[in-house]
Amino acid sequence: MSFLEVRGVSVTFGGLSALKRVSFSLGENEIVGLIGPNGAGKTTLFNCLSGFQAPDEGSMLFGGAPLEARAPYQIAALGVARTFQTSRVFKRMTVLEHVLIGRYRHQRAGLWGAVARPRWVADEERAARERGLATLALFEDRLLPRINDFADSLSYANRRRLEIARALVSEPRLLLLDEPTAGMNPHETAGIVTLIQAIRGMGITVFLIEHDMKVIMNASDRIIVLDHGEKIAEGQPSAIRANEDVVQAYMGRRGDRA
Amino acid sequence: MALHEFVPGRANRRVWLSLLVAAVLLPAVVRSEYLLNTAVLAGIYIILTSSLNITNGYTGLFSFGHAAFYGIGAYTAAILATRLGAGFWLTLPMAGLVAALFGAALAVPTLRLSGIFLALVTIGFQEIAFLVTLNWIGLTRGPMGIPGVPPPGLFGFELRGNTGYYYLVLALDVLTLFVLSRVVTSRVGRAFIAIREDELAAQASGIPTFRMKVLAFVIATFFAGLAGAVFAHHARFVSADSFRLDETFVILTMLIVGGMGSFLGPIIGAVALVILPEASRFLAEYRGVVYGLILIGVILFRPEGVAGVPGIIQPRGLLARRPAPPGGEEPAR
Repeated sequence: MSFLEVRGVSVTFGGLSALKRVSFSLGENEIVGLIGPNGAGKTTLFNCLSGFQAPDEGSMLFGGAPLEARAPYQIAALGVARTFQTSRVFKRMTVLEHVLIGRYRHQRAGLWGAVARPRWVADEERAARERGLATLALFEDRLLPRINDFADSLSYANRRRLEIARALVSEPRLLLLDEPTAGMNPHETAGIVTLIQAIRGMGITVFLIEHDMKVIMNASDRIIVLDHGEKIAEGQPSAIRANEDVVQAYMGRRGDRA
Repeated sequence: MALHEFVPGRANRRVWLSLLVAAVLLPAVVRSEYLLNTAVLAGIYIILTSSLNITNGYTGLFSFGHAAFYGIGAYTAAILATRLGAGFWLTLPMAGLVAALFGAALAVPTLRLSGIFLALVTIGFQEIAFLVTLNWIGLTRGPMGIPGVPPPGLFGFELRGNTGYYYLVLALDVLTLFVLSRVVTSRVGRAFIAIREDELAAQASGIPTFRMKVLAFVIATFFAGLAGAVFAHHARFVSADSFRLDETFVILTMLIVGGMGSFLGPIIGAVALVILPEASRFLAEYRGVVYGLILIGVILFRPEGVAGVPGIIQPRGLLARRPAPPGGEEPAR
């Protein structure tokens, strides 16, 4: 069985179908790109996979566990982490607190643990802090010198990095990245490509939405193309680049041009 | 260290210990019964304001019903003490538990709401609690209130003088602040703040947001209930008038002036706004005006309050300041 198996997932908003019977699978430790013109349903698909949108039909199996009836926090607990298209950092929390939140699912302290603070809670906090700092170190000197700063004092690019760090520190098995390089300059973008490769090196499967074709072609093992909610192509970057349907989806059909 | 980061912990142990020593020594310096009574009142409001801060400040759930839970605690204590002869050490935890039970009962069906809708529901609950108290004469004696709540006993002595009450309230303040400081600096407290900052992102990070919001409500209402029990045994009389919406606004004002979402804020707000009306008695009928002006001044010039988290309240419309320039891109290196 594959690592993630999506079968016939459909979502409609009012009369509009955002996803039409989309099926695909992801293998363990792959980097798969998800592309398509605006409104193709890419983010809707991510919302389904992370529990924010219940599909009208279809099934999603992650390591054998069905995702469609689970709440976002339950899906996170299975090891699926995500970032958002528009950055969703906790503005008035520090950088360090972000990565501690990322460790949430690995910690156990409830109300009594918090108040009584027995040794195991102290150990758990120390471990979370160490792990968090180690994850921040992946971003070199971008985030580490700012661990006590609020996220809203960070630059745009650093907020995006922080969001990736928060997802990464939870040790996901599947990481959904929604346009991680949006708004970044070419140099910063190149850094993200390197990072995605490094994330795969940790044994994490990466599913990536990206508008920057250079990123998607360089980083992905395989690409899935959506257009108007339908999967129109799937294959290796070189095959996708040559695919007539994909070119048409992006450029419009010959006859469409005025 | 900014004021809003000032949570009791290892790093600032000395400061908090000296504050405690000062509080312990206060009755030795202040001999006036009237001032001690004011201090007792401030102590009760510290519990109320700090607990409301858990929902409104840390978790971002705007509750307008805190006085109702304060009242539920006070009535629980008064009824148990006068009908069943229960002592303070039994009525105190019971008041907290009953208030928390009501808190959970209100939270479970309503916490799917947020913002202004949640605020409206809690105002509704506040009014319902008042009307039930006023009309359920068999239980609450209605408008007559419940007199004759006995003073707390301690090792066989009855606590009567203001000094005794002062130390009782101080002990409860220490307990409350200890518990709350542990909560807000833990995994649980981080989850609360994350929910306030971005509920979707909190869910995506594995936080069961609904459960955590109910927990925040239960913690806040539990401590409001404790404060109610102290009030009942201190005033020796409870009446529905003491726990109306205007009382909620008093607590809320203390929280906003002191600073939401910070640990020190509610303490500053409670102490300042208990002392202020007393200290400005010489202004006679202009007292209310001065109180109002101070409020407006805080909202205008320091919307986050004295010690609040900067940016936690963002004024809109005429009060809005010019937006900060968006975080610029980093230069390429």
